[in-house]
Amino acid sequence: MKRKTWRKSLALVMSTTMILALAGCGSEGSDNSSQPSDSGTTDSAEADGDFKGTIKFGLVAPITGAHAEYGQGFDAATQIAAEEINAAGGINGYRIEIEVQDSAADAKTSSDIFTRFAEDDEIMAVIGDFTSSCCMADAPIADEYGLVLLSPTASDPSYTGMSDYCFTVMYNQRDAAPWYASAVYDHYLGIDNYVCMYLNTDWGNSTYSYVSAALEEQGIECLASEAYAENETDFSSVISKLSAAGSDTIIILDQGNLPTIINQIKNSGWDPLVTSIGPGASDQILEQCGDNANGLILVTPSYITANNDETAEFCNKFYAINGCAPTDHAVCAYNCVYMLKAAIENIGDGELTRSAIRDALATATYDGMTGHIEFNDEGGVTREQLIMSVENGAWVIEENYGYE
Amino acid sequence: MTSQYIINQLVNGLCQGFIYALVALGVAVIIGIVGFATFTQGEVVMIGAYTSFYVFTSAGNHLVLGLLASFATTWILGMLIYKVCYEHFLDAPEHISLLCTIGFSMLLKNLATIVFGVEKKPMLDIINNKIYHFGPIQVTKVQLVIMATVLIVCLILVLVFTKTNLGIRLKAVSQNREAAALVGINVKTTAMVGNCIGCAMAGIAGTLIGIYYQSAYATMGSTLSMKAFTSATLGGLTDVPLSALGGVLIGIMENLGIAFTSASYRDIFSFGFLIIMLLFKPNGFAKKRGGSRA
Repeated sequence: MKRKTWRKSLALVMSTTMILALAGCGSEGSDNSSQPSDSGTTDSAEADGDFKGTIKFGLVAPITGAHAEYGQGFDAATQIAAEEINAAGGINGYRIEIEVQDSAADAKTSSDIFTRFAEDDEIMAVIGDFTSSCCMADAPIADEYGLVLLSPTASDPSYTGMSDYCFTVMYNQRDAAPWYASAVYDHYLGIDNYVCMYLNTDWGNSTYSYVSAALEEQGIECLASEAYAENETDFSSVISKLSAAGSDTIIILDQGNLPTIINQIKNSGWDPLVTSIGPGASDQILEQCGDNANGLILVTPSYITANNDETAEFCNKFYAINGCAPTDHAVCAYNCVYMLKAAIENIGDGELTRSAIRDALATATYDGMTGHIEFNDEGGVTREQLIMSVENGAWVIEENYGYE
Repeated sequence: MTSQYIINQLVNGLCQGFIYALVALGVAVIIGIVGFATFTQGEVVMIGAYTSFYVFTSAGNHLVLGLLASFATTWILGMLIYKVCYEHFLDAPEHISLLCTIGFSMLLKNLATIVFGVEKKPMLDIINNKIYHFGPIQVTKVQLVIMATVLIVCLILVLVFTKTNLGIRLKAVSQNREAAALVGINVKTTAMVGNCIGCAMAGIAGTLIGIYYQSAYATMGSTLSMKAFTSATLGGLTDVPLSALGGVLIGIMENLGIAFTSASYRDIFSFGFLIIMLLFKPNGFAKKRGGSRA
């Protein structure tokens, strides 16, 4: 009898732990979705009672899985933006709420979530997803239901063309590649050849095709290139292959694996000029690489740091939520909320519908931490970029926006 | 393609293989010696890596201290895994405990993400990583430490399982629990100790793998888990040294394949090698498959 009681107690404890853990996985998102009174409104706003109602946005992002770092960054950044907007009185007197759902960067899951959002009449627009693959899976649904899908990070050039309701605040590699080739690798670095390693994903393959074509036009020869799987952890064979090609310059097209790759290059005894396109200039690279990062050349659309007056407040708020420094991806998610704010403000007293938001978003503008944002005819943006390096364990802006 | 390049890739494969072997040792103990199916080994490796990260962060880069802490933590985790996934299902069909380990693995991974965060924890310069040259061969200090650890642990495990009472009791439990109980063996305690040994091996593996890749993160065990299981399968799921050999061969096959094709095909070479081996030798390198309950 005692043993049965003990077994039942153990089963109850384990079940409770599992439920709490699963709830914890989703609770970071849902915490800022269904608690209007806790989502950053100020006492003055609540006391005034000026909120006419609530505008709900959906956020579909990889809160778990291999891209959890970025998805949780989206969650934190949109939460910060929502709190700031609500504290300042909302949008046209409406409080905003963001309902977060976890796609785990899986296209099928993302499209299921987006469909649920689309069928919920309260959701006026959706921010997300992280990968171009997920966004392109959601695009037909966005078109069918007439619901804006505003991605912080989708960079595949074909995504925005899939529907009038598809937008992205991330520049695409097709348009940026000629600048990389001429300004960065030819004019700034002056190289004759290179080797390249890149993610074997939609983003990696498309970026490599655009960048390599642009470099070839510039007369810069590719001596070797190698694609690798997204979940790769040991790059020694790739590094051996590329080091044998005889170039002094490596271009790494990756995002989350860059610190691992840099460390393994240094440990291999090969000492090339390491350059990268893809990741932002985050402090995480410095933390995870230490001295190995010295000499790294990085092309990035933004530099978000607590030392910069323009970005310090956001950095500190982000750190308080996520316990790490923000990347450019998080800033893009933050910008998405403000772009939607700008769009809804333009609607003014007009009827707030999904199609009205779409039309207003197409012509909305926002000037924030990363400069001016305005959509082109295809729903994408063009962003200027910085050339940065790591010296003595710190980021240095080598060339500012507008370098040619 | 020069001979130096081929030698470099062979050495890369050997080193990668020893990493798989490191994880496969624990899998072989749990599946082959104790007779339990497990899918938690990758996550136990991850817990070992995190344990040593926090030890190094708080107490300095003392390798032995990190290894001991990982060993102890994952031993205790092994006890928990045994209590949750195995003890109550000893007489149930094997797939019940297997499903339990799959669930426990997912639980551990997500708990780690919540508790430790999603960003990678840096484990830099724990060992002063020199590069040694032996003719055309280049290896690092960390790689030599991993190889030495696999060989020493293999030797110790072989001695334990063949020359000690514990080892004989473990084999008896894996072959027939009822008969083992009849001859006076405490089946539950013995099985738990066996599981703990396997998990502690994973803890040591986690520390060394974290040092080798210079980071610890919540999903680091996922890929390793499958490769370790593959290595143990090549070892016939019975033999610890043969499982380590399986890991080494998988690493070599992967890297030679990459040398002539592309890194995107890594898993094709490893699992293709497994399939081909099993077609010709269904028991892997072992003479007969074991580790199943009567």
